[in-house]
Amino acid sequence: MTKSVSCSFLTPRILFPIHPMQVVACFLAALLLAASIFPPVTIAQTSEQSRYYVQQMLELAATNNDHGVTTVQQILEQNPKPRPTNPTGARAAFQIGLTALGQNQLETALGAFQQASQADPSNVEAVNYLGLVQRKLNRFQEAESALQQALALEPTRSVAWFQLAQVYGLQSDARRAVGALANTYRYAQNPMRAEEILRNIAENETSDTLRNAAIETLRLFHLPVETTLIPPLSPNPGIAPIDTLSGSTRPLSNGQTP
Amino acid sequence: MKLVSATSMLLIALALATPAGAANQYETIDYYIQQMIAHSSADDVTGVQTFREQLENLRRPETEDSARARPLRQQGSEQLARNNFKEALAAFRQAFIADPADPETAGQLSLAYLRLHRLKEAERLAVYALSLAPTQSATWLTLGEVYGQTGDATRAGGAFANAYRFAKDPVPIAEQLQRLTIANNAAAIQTGAQKALQLGQPVNFKSSPLSSAPTPPPTTASPSGTDPPPPSPVTSARTETLGQRIYRQSIPLTCLIITFRNGKTDNLGSGLLVSSDGLIITNNHVIDKADNLAVRCGERESTASVRKRSKEPDLALLATSLNSKERFVLNEAYSQDLIGRDVFVIGNPYGLEGTFSTGVISGLREIDGVRYIQISAPVSPGNSGGPVILSDGSVIGIAAMGLKMGQNLNFAIASAEVIASSLFDPARMKSQPLGGNH
Repeated sequence: MTKSVSCSFLTPRILFPIHPMQVVACFLAALLLAASIFPPVTIAQTSEQSRYYVQQMLELAATNNDHGVTTVQQILEQNPKPRPTNPTGARAAFQIGLTALGQNQLETALGAFQQASQADPSNVEAVNYLGLVQRKLNRFQEAESALQQALALEPTRSVAWFQLAQVYGLQSDARRAVGALANTYRYAQNPMRAEEILRNIAENETSDTLRNAAIETLRLFHLPVETTLIPPLSPNPGIAPIDTLSGSTRPLSNGQTP
Repeated sequence: MKLVSATSMLLIALALATPAGAANQYETIDYYIQQMIAHSSADDVTGVQTFREQLENLRRPETEDSARARPLRQQGSEQLARNNFKEALAAFRQAFIADPADPETAGQLSLAYLRLHRLKEAERLAVYALSLAPTQSATWLTLGEVYGQTGDATRAGGAFANAYRFAKDPVPIAEQLQRLTIANNAAAIQTGAQKALQLGQPVNFKSSPLSSAPTPPPTTASPSGTDPPPPSPVTSARTETLGQRIYRQSIPLTCLIITFRNGKTDNLGSGLLVSSDGLIITNNHVIDKADNLAVRCGERESTASVRKRSKEPDLALLATSLNSKERFVLNEAYSQDLIGRDVFVIGNPYGLEGTFSTGVISGLREIDGVRYIQISAPVSPGNSGGPVILSDGSVIGIAAMGLKMGQNLNFAIASAEVIASSLFDPARMKSQPLGGNH
């Protein structure tokens, strides 16, 4: 006999077959409902909440929880957006930032994008470029914060997820890198291109974390990948690389360390 | 407007029920490609063309950085020619990332994967490339080789046959297929290529010098090129296909029927215009609980009233204000000669207006004294009451029901049954025997 569960606060009269995904969906739907009934009091709170939801999207994406990711995405999309204080100034600063970035003047670009995103915090392009420049300047925490802000404004922005994946990859945060790459693929306008980008990273990226994250993401979506997972190894001077002929490891110099 | 909103709501519901994720996009195009292969393998040119059109109707990705992609593609081609497959892969991949909208780049990337024996990647890229350009002969060849290397001779044959069918110049493709039938190729590639040489010949290309005939007939293109070349399959594809003609002629005469009950939209179905003064035939079960009826045939709309109805056979005749010069002609035939004939179905399954599908007549069935035509064309709720059309444009049946178990086991009330019923008015409606003109 089929077991049933009712998501009674949403559909008091409807019973449907129980499934773990539905329990998660019920929980997230409750969150969605709560978010719409109790709007956050201040923008600051909203900002913190948004970052929390972006983190949730990362976690859920890393386990390929499609329903969960979509529900949190909807919560973010319902959140109130900040209002521009000076949209004209923001546009001008944004153009300056783009020009500077094109000329690789990263500090100038950073200042301009900061100005643009302060004058119009709802301008997702400006906030996204701010994150990009901060990543290029190896300011990872600020980059993460800006990219999360961009994703809070537009949670389906594939390119921002991709940049966030790079930030986590460079910080050796493997799990979040996988989540961010998974969302890169999920929201890609052209999934085949995203797949090929992932394969390119999986085969050629020098950062172990990012390379392994790309491999894991391809596997998460059951996409073909040839490279085997290579965990970042701690130095072990007693063992030489795998012998390609015999397929076994062999000790160096009769087991002595060099 | 009520008509539009009812249809839109159904479409929205359908869209919500089917998440359009990244994986789904690939599954959709793969489904169409596999259908093209299956129909090609069965030598069903109409089926191939139908699914080719489905692919061509999909939204295309926008061209991106083609200026950056071009030299990378060139570089890839050079590496491929030197058998430097890894370098070719790297270059084609960069070109593809720069401009994923170019089918040739995607096809070349697929070929590079194939040469590296990365068959899964090769298949995905070939399917994607063909979704952008379903008549790209070279990519069909690649896909055929991929299936051949996995030991799937049937799909290899279907893909190779499409390579031949869509070739701008069939001669080199035929030569390539000949080469694949011998040498060190996998057995499935050899079998597939042999089958393709028999199957894949384009409709207007029966006299190819490389067909299975041992000596070329004198009318074929000579090696010197002085004779005019045979019509290429692309040229023949540019002219209207049978499916296209049937669709164009039938769509203005096929109706969406919307029923209202207690002031609300209740049911959707299909119907067909059978008289010049707006009489429409549909199924009784489409309209039996309705308080009010509305119809849309092509671009025109009207309210409708029930003129006649019967439970067995499940038929109803509606009167509308849609006067029309054109009307469907009912085909009187109901004999074993019908089995195996191609049929075309138009209707509004789940409110998807004007959905066109194809199949064959699979059998003749008599159920509770009513004569039915069994068809293999896909039919879903909303198709009820719609026309099942023969290749001469006449209606051989009224789509009525399908078996939920099994696949493509669908039934249409035979037009012969309609003609024999009290609904048929010979003064206003037209019928013809099998093979007759209308």
